[in-house]
Amino acid sequence: MSKPSLFGYLVEFEDVTTILNAAREVRDEGYTKWDTHTPFPIHGMDGAMGMKMSILPWLVFGGGFMGCTLAMLLQWWMNAYDYPYLVSGKPLWSIPAFIPVTFELTILFSAFGAFFGMLALNQLPELYHALFTSERFRRATSDRFFISIEAKDPRFDLEKTRAFLETLGGTAIETVEEDE
Amino acid sequence: MRIIDTSQENRSFSDLAPNVARNALFVSVFGILASLILTFMLGGGLERFFQSYLVNFGYFLSLTLGALFFVIIQHVVRASWSVVVRRVAEVLSSNFLLMAILFLPVIAGMDHLFHWLDPHAVDDEILAGKLGYLNRTFFILRWVLYFGIWAGLARFFYTNSVKQDETGDIKLTLRMEKFSPLSVILFAFSLTFASFDLLMSINPHWYSTIFGVYYFAGSVLGSFAMFALIFHYLHKKGRLLQSVTLEHFHDIGKLMFAFTVFWAYIGFSQYMLYWYGNIPEETVWFLHRQTGSWTPVTWFILFGHFVVPFLGLLSRIPKRRSALLRFIALYVLAVHWIDIYWIAMPEWFNNGVSFHLLDLTLFLAIGGLWISVAARRLGRASLVPSKDPRLSDSLAFENS
Amino acid sequence: MGIATASQVEPDPIRGEPLVQGGHDFASVTDAVCGVIEAKRPPLIWFISIAISSIMTLVLFAMIVYLFWTGIGVWGVNVPVGWGFAIVNFVFWVGIGHAGTLISAILFLFRQQWRTAINRFAEAMTIFAVICALVFPGIHVGRVWFAWWMFPIPYQQGVWPQFRSPLLWDVFAVGTYFMVSSIFWYMGMIPDLATIRDRATGTTRRFVYGLLSLGWRGSNRQWHRYERAYLLLAALATPLVLSVHSVVSFDFAVSQVPGWHTTILPPYFVAGAIFSGFAMVVFLAVPARQLYGLKSIITMRHIESMNKIMLATGSMVGYAYAIEFFMAWYSGNIYEQFTFQNRAFGEYWWAYWTMASCNVIVPQIYWFKKARRSLVVTMIVAFLINVGMWFERFVIVVTSLSRDFLPSSWGFYWPTWVDILTFAGTFGLFFTLFLLFLRFLPMVAMAELKNVMPAAHPVHHLSGEKEGH
Repeated sequence: MSKPSLFGYLVEFEDVTTILNAAREVRDEGYTKWDTHTPFPIHGMDGAMGMKMSILPWLVFGGGFMGCTLAMLLQWWMNAYDYPYLVSGKPLWSIPAFIPVTFELTILFSAFGAFFGMLALNQLPELYHALFTSERFRRATSDRFFISIEAKDPRFDLEKTRAFLETLGGTAIETVEEDE
Repeated sequence: MRIIDTSQENRSFSDLAPNVARNALFVSVFGILASLILTFMLGGGLERFFQSYLVNFGYFLSLTLGALFFVIIQHVVRASWSVVVRRVAEVLSSNFLLMAILFLPVIAGMDHLFHWLDPHAVDDEILAGKLGYLNRTFFILRWVLYFGIWAGLARFFYTNSVKQDETGDIKLTLRMEKFSPLSVILFAFSLTFASFDLLMSINPHWYSTIFGVYYFAGSVLGSFAMFALIFHYLHKKGRLLQSVTLEHFHDIGKLMFAFTVFWAYIGFSQYMLYWYGNIPEETVWFLHRQTGSWTPVTWFILFGHFVVPFLGLLSRIPKRRSALLRFIALYVLAVHWIDIYWIAMPEWFNNGVSFHLLDLTLFLAIGGLWISVAARRLGRASLVPSKDPRLSDSLAFENS
Repeated sequence: MGIATASQVEPDPIRGEPLVQGGHDFASVTDAVCGVIEAKRPPLIWFISIAISSIMTLVLFAMIVYLFWTGIGVWGVNVPVGWGFAIVNFVFWVGIGHAGTLISAILFLFRQQWRTAINRFAEAMTIFAVICALVFPGIHVGRVWFAWWMFPIPYQQGVWPQFRSPLLWDVFAVGTYFMVSSIFWYMGMIPDLATIRDRATGTTRRFVYGLLSLGWRGSNRQWHRYERAYLLLAALATPLVLSVHSVVSFDFAVSQVPGWHTTILPPYFVAGAIFSGFAMVVFLAVPARQLYGLKSIITMRHIESMNKIMLATGSMVGYAYAIEFFMAWYSGNIYEQFTFQNRAFGEYWWAYWTMASCNVIVPQIYWFKKARRSLVVTMIVAFLINVGMWFERFVIVVTSLSRDFLPSSWGFYWPTWVDILTFAGTFGLFFTLFLLFLRFLPMVAMAELKNVMPAAHPVHHLSGEKEGH
């Protein structure tokens, strides 16, 4: 029904309360391929959009576990197995002395998990996006709030969706096209 | 901001207080009688009595100190989330008068507990140098001072807070805030030297500059566990159902987690530096704990006091289920007791663990009294500071 | 939307002053912060400052070249005092960095919303301070061409680095700290870089900031994971920051040297690091806010809060001094006792009393609200605290090494001109990096700041709506 070059609709809002209520309505309408774009995270938006908890904490835990294991193995292999030598009367396998490096690598790998996990889940970097063709959308990182509904959404209908969006209290509606 | 209707909420403990206080008192009386029987009729002996007494006194003192610290620090940082939690902390910290009375047996038993009181101490060159600090008169004087500070601070914060329940005067909050930074300094020094006197001087040759911080970390951790238990209990009895929400349990859980890590950090610093330095007069303290049957206890402290609660509290799930949190809190309170036991006992029994029933009966004796006095006081005022200017923020508080 | 906060309200004794003053709305916050970067020319004072700091940076490089060319003998280090300025400066700079992490991570976990105005440039300061610190372990090893022995790479004969050595722990601790701080800083900046991208007019600017902002489009599905990642990074950075200066303290404390080998050293180093770091933050924040017209964003409330933290951490340092002194006496160890007497009354008494008066006595002025809110006092105290904290490291390093167990091996340390110019040069490097940061990157976290403004909070109409988290 939609032309292949159409990305979807973009609705602009001027304040937090309106977009939050609008998001609830879009959720209740049953749309799935839609999003809100705001200059800062809005408290309560996750619930208004019906979003689930992210799996990110598990990636962090996995990173930390890997760092911890790797550090212990590394130190054991280098100092107690591959080239054992005694220093200051300490045992070859000196757990107390190996704790600091183990700790640091645990943190390092957890942090990698958090940062790269976040990027991967968010599919960033993504330097081109259809929304960037909209001049109005530039204010999404400053002081305006937007809802975008993609044409790919199964419930998307050129007229009906537009009519529905017009009831949400936004200040402007525009169609966004993919830049071919 | 969310508006929360608390008009229907039950915020009073006065109906349950007499019952709880009486039952706890029964437990205590049972503990006292059993301890006396064990000591005098079943051959426990006075020495063992005082040793077990010191461990349990040190344990309940730490919980009282942790509660006092919580009250003070909330005023220092002007916290709002914790207002609904604060009254219980104020009540627990008011137990210092009881602790002062309970200190009398420690004074009576000093000769059994501290070998720096031995008349031959002067012959020991190192010990002789310390006797200006470690002597009976100065020791007692210091403890009078410590209890003066603690009971004074606890009373100041408790009475002002309760007074506000009636008047709703904001000036009371401001006055408590104004006095709180100085309170922290008084608290820090008194706790440090008290821990040196009570636990470190059991082995007067040994010393560690971080010892006060170690005792502090365990104390605060223990008191958070205590709060979790008490609020779970109050919920079960239908109290504070609207005021204290999952969000507050979550925060108490987070703080338990934070102090578990902090305790491990301090414990590791103390252990690793002495292990690495390898100087005999310093490592001897750990040697006592790494020989014979103390070794498994030491391993248990490492895993049970750090690894288990660390993994247990890592996820947000246990922090947001009050039944699960209660279980972890009970566990933390138990390992904290073992920690205090592990600090004190190996200095008298350096050949191995010698568990005695007195360790338990005296726990009941002191713990029963501690709970009984606290419960009675809890019944006297509202369970939350009902006119605190930050109460509405605390009620509406949510973790992001 | 756009309802400005009342600018001059009576300060509420319970909630404090508003975090953003001067009638700002979302757009004007964007304008104020981006304006600094978008201005055609930075203020004249910026050019003067960067000229001076660049020259000092060149001095640093010249000193390093001279050192490599001639050898470590150009420094004042000698046989008993093998650790001189290089270690003192290393510890000093690592310590400065700690405030940035405290503000960005610990205050975040404690939900201290006032941190939002200052966290960005405090984090930048962390990274630049750690860069300055990393210069010293790089150059103090003497034979710099063997510096790679610090990394887990096998040497010619198949020998591995020695993981039981605290110096290797340092490499991992400071290295991790540098990487995690950089990640945290960069990640926090992504939404703000997107703001600059979206306002950019020129192609180059649009391209560079577009690349740096990774295609961020403020989508709530992105924000959701972003906020979770930020919280997790804060939770990771908190123990990390405690560990870094603890590991630095281990360099001293695992040895048997009197005055170094004491168990309180790790937390005491951490408290001192945060103390000096905050002094540096206000020392930079006060001129920056005056210069760039950000007085309504970095308000007196922020300055006062930081001054309070200095009073608190200064008291912790004072606590550690007191306990160390007591324990030196209580231990009955004659070497410990001598060390502490020697610190206060020995050859380096002036260093000791500079340290004690700047770190313990000077911050006491912050018990008075008037002093906490005076910019002149703030600048003077911040400067003195940094002096005091530098001398603290000098006292620890030099007095303990110059007078240890055997009087026959006692010595005396005095820096050479190369030592002094190298240290001065690191300030050049630090300020050059910092000035470049002010010019090209957003120095205030705009997205976070907007989040603490009253207009960011929805007015609830619906009741009984179930909200997930």
